[in-house]
Amino acid sequence: MNLLGRPKLDDDQKARIPPGQYFTEKWPVLHYGSVPSTDLGTWGFRVWGEVEEPFSCTWDEFQAMPRTQLTTDIHCVTRWSRLDASFEGVPIRHILDRAKLTSDAHFVLAHSEQGYTANMPIEVLDDDDVMLADVADGAPLTAEHGYPLRLIVPKRYFWKSAKWIRGLQFMSRDQLGFWERYGYNNSADPWKEERFSDE
Amino acid sequence: MASTGQAATTARTEVREIIARTGHSVDNARAAVARLDVAFAAGDLLRTPFLDRALGDLSVALEQDDGQKLGGKSAEASRFILRAIDRELDEA
Repeated sequence: MNLLGRPKLDDDQKARIPPGQYFTEKWPVLHYGSVPSTDLGTWGFRVWGEVEEPFSCTWDEFQAMPRTQLTTDIHCVTRWSRLDASFEGVPIRHILDRAKLTSDAHFVLAHSEQGYTANMPIEVLDDDDVMLADVADGAPLTAEHGYPLRLIVPKRYFWKSAKWIRGLQFMSRDQLGFWERYGYNNSADPWKEERFSDE
Repeated sequence: MASTGQAATTARTEVREIIARTGHSVDNARAAVARLDVAFAAGDLLRTPFLDRALGDLSVALEQDDGQKLGGKSAEASRFILRAIDRELDEA
C-alpha cells in the first residue's frame, strides 16, 4: 500500500493506467437520479435504425444468444481505473451480424432507462472487446451497476458503457448522448484524456 | 424569436443569478427550474426545443425515488445542464 492506502502496482499494471487516472480495486457507483427497477418479465431490447434486420428480444431470447467472457481494464472519467474487471454476456458482433448494418450506418446511439443515451462511431463499437454484459465479476450485475444489462466499451471512458441499456439505434449521422450534449468529450478516449469537450 | 422586454430581462437575470450561486448545484438546479417555470407560465420567456430537452434531462438527474439517495453524478449533471441552460437563455 502507498501513503494513500492504495495498492502498489507493478510496472506492467502501471502501464495500463491512462494519464490522469488512479488505480482502484473497488468499483465505484456513479450515476445521476435514481436507480431504475426492472421487471424481466416485461423487459425488452431493441435494435433499429440503419439496419436491414431490425429486431426486438425478450430477456429469455437475449439469454439464448451466444455468450462470451471478457477480462478488461475500465476507466471512469472521474479518474478511477480498475484492472482485470471481468464481464460475461453477448458479444456486440453477434448483435451487428444479426441486425445487418446498412452501408449508411456510421454511428450508434445506446438507449437506456430514464432516457439516458451514449453515442459512438461504429468503428468503436465494432470490436471484439465490446459486449452487452449481464454478469460482472462472476455474478449478475447489481442494480447500481446496470442490472440487468449494460454495454461494455473498454476503450472509452466508462460513461459510454451505458448502464440499464434497452436498445441500440444505428444512424448515418452522429447524435450526441446525454453527457456529450452537456460538455463531456464526444470521443472519450482515456489514453488521450478526452474528458470534456472544452479541453 | 427570443422574448424581449423588462420581464424577459428580469427573468434571465434571476435565472442566471440562481445558476451562479455558490450553493449545491442540485439546489441551484431545483431553484432555477422553479424560476423558469414561473417565467414560462407568465409568458416572460419562451420555451425552446433545447430548453425543453435540457429541462427534461435535468428532471431525470434530480429524480429521487423513495428510499434512494440521489445518484452521485446528479450534482455534476445539474452543473453541466445549468451551464447549457445559461447559454440558451438568450434564445428563450
